[in-house]
Amino acid sequence: MGFLGPNGAGKSTTLKILSGLIAADSGEAKVCGVDLAEEGGEVRHHIGFLSENNPLPEELRVVEYLSFRANLKGLRGSRKRDRIKFVLDACDLERRTAETKISSLSKGFRQRVGIADAMLAEPRLIILDEPTIGLDPVQTAITRKMMDRLRGEVSIILSSHILSEVEACCDRMIILSHGQIVAEGSLTELQDRFVDRIEFEVVANESRIILQKAINQIDDKCQLIQDYPIENTGKKRFLFRTEKDENQVMKILKVLVHSNDLSISEFKISKPDLEDIFLKATKYNWAAQDLLGRKRIKNVS
Amino acid sequence: MYGFIQILKQEIFCLFISPATYVSTFYFVSLIGICFRFFLEHFSGTNWILPPLSSLMVGLLFCSPGIIPFLTMRSFSEERKLGTLHVLMTAPVSPLALVLGKWVASLMLLFTIFGLTFCYPILTTLLFPTQSLFLEFDNLAQWASIMIFLFFYGASFTAIGIFSSTLTKNQMVSGMLTFTLISIYLAVMTFSYETAVNYNVSINAIEMIIAALHSTFNGLAKIDHFSMGLVDLKSVLHQLLVTIFFLFFSILRVERLRK
Repeated sequence: MGFLGPNGAGKSTTLKILSGLIAADSGEAKVCGVDLAEEGGEVRHHIGFLSENNPLPEELRVVEYLSFRANLKGLRGSRKRDRIKFVLDACDLERRTAETKISSLSKGFRQRVGIADAMLAEPRLIILDEPTIGLDPVQTAITRKMMDRLRGEVSIILSSHILSEVEACCDRMIILSHGQIVAEGSLTELQDRFVDRIEFEVVANESRIILQKAINQIDDKCQLIQDYPIENTGKKRFLFRTEKDENQVMKILKVLVHSNDLSISEFKISKPDLEDIFLKATKYNWAAQDLLGRKRIKNVS
Repeated sequence: MYGFIQILKQEIFCLFISPATYVSTFYFVSLIGICFRFFLEHFSGTNWILPPLSSLMVGLLFCSPGIIPFLTMRSFSEERKLGTLHVLMTAPVSPLALVLGKWVASLMLLFTIFGLTFCYPILTTLLFPTQSLFLEFDNLAQWASIMIFLFFYGASFTAIGIFSSTLTKNQMVSGMLTFTLISIYLAVMTFSYETAVNYNVSINAIEMIIAALHSTFNGLAKIDHFSMGLVDLKSVLHQLLVTIFFLFFSILRVERLRK
């Protein structure tokens, strides 16, 4: 589950409430069916939490820290040893790193230690608050790979500002704005809900006028929005936008392909990415709550 | 109380791997040693009426504001500053276990340091057996009562230190606050020492309040009993209440950090 929202939307606060770190002022929060207000201590047995800055005790070695955390989480004896070994392997923390003091670890390795801690007690839910913040691309890729490995084994709530990361790692998403859920669902569901226009790219030998005329015969509302410069091969690339659904675009494609007068070499439907959905969802919320004060200005005038 | 043992173990481990612990212990034990040697040298010329071993007890009591901040200031302050306290709170550990774990760890270390200073009378007994008999270092009742006295005073002082540590993120501020609070507490007890309180002649309310305050703060009233091998339960109870008071507010403070 991806957790998105602009700065100050309440992502970290919600995650802290879900992890039992702070109490909610109002409302109801349940994790694995357990009410946080009533049994906050019980919930902490079921979750693993990686906080935003991932603070770790500097003076301990990695394995000492994990051992301490395992004790706190109620792991004992052989189970504790097995779990520590498992998380060290899963997070690519080899023997040499495990014996290193946390103070001398790089940011990427510290994040891995934090994720290893979150996975330690086989939690039913892992909450990761900005796990790749401040990491270089290589470390980011490793962290994403680690999250990918957990897919199917455990539920993960991933909060991030990096939309491509959420798009790649999460099956479902929640977009928050000003403490409210403004969108929820899979990427396809969000695309269907928030995108009322479809764009498609056509590469053809024909001129803009001929192509547009052919398309407008099927869909009169379809507009040409970009006419790219002629390519080295002599082909021309055009970007169209229609307000109708994907079926309409497929209909256009069929007509263009079967037309004897047109020579189409490429046809690509460009679906809106999460960034578009995110901007749209948060913008809707701004408008609904009149956060820009436009309605107020109108009323005054 | 889930997690108490784990927190205790971890705190003891962290205190023992911290160089600050060793440096402060070294200076504290050395200072007490020098004072004890100086006292024994000049004992016959002083008007000290209590057994000589009690000088060590009094020395430890009045020097403790110098060592306790080093043992307690990092407990919560550093963890809050680094953010590790929040990570600790995501584990299934209650604030009670957290506070008690940290308090017991610092109390154990304090008692270890006190124990080190007791090597001085033991060494004196081994090196100068005849003189030690004259100094009554072989009186086990005195040893036991002094240990009990120091244990309960150490408990209340470390509780004050833990409470100060929960109040701020800055270790230095926490240390200075601990020093100030223990010094004030000692000063109040010292100034209340041997104050005559006659309840029968207290006729107005103000005098009664002052009398009640005197009896409340007069924690050192029975120090001479402890020096001579007697355990005064009232004093023990007094320190126990002070300990519970500060630990209770520390727990509330930690609980408040969750809000």
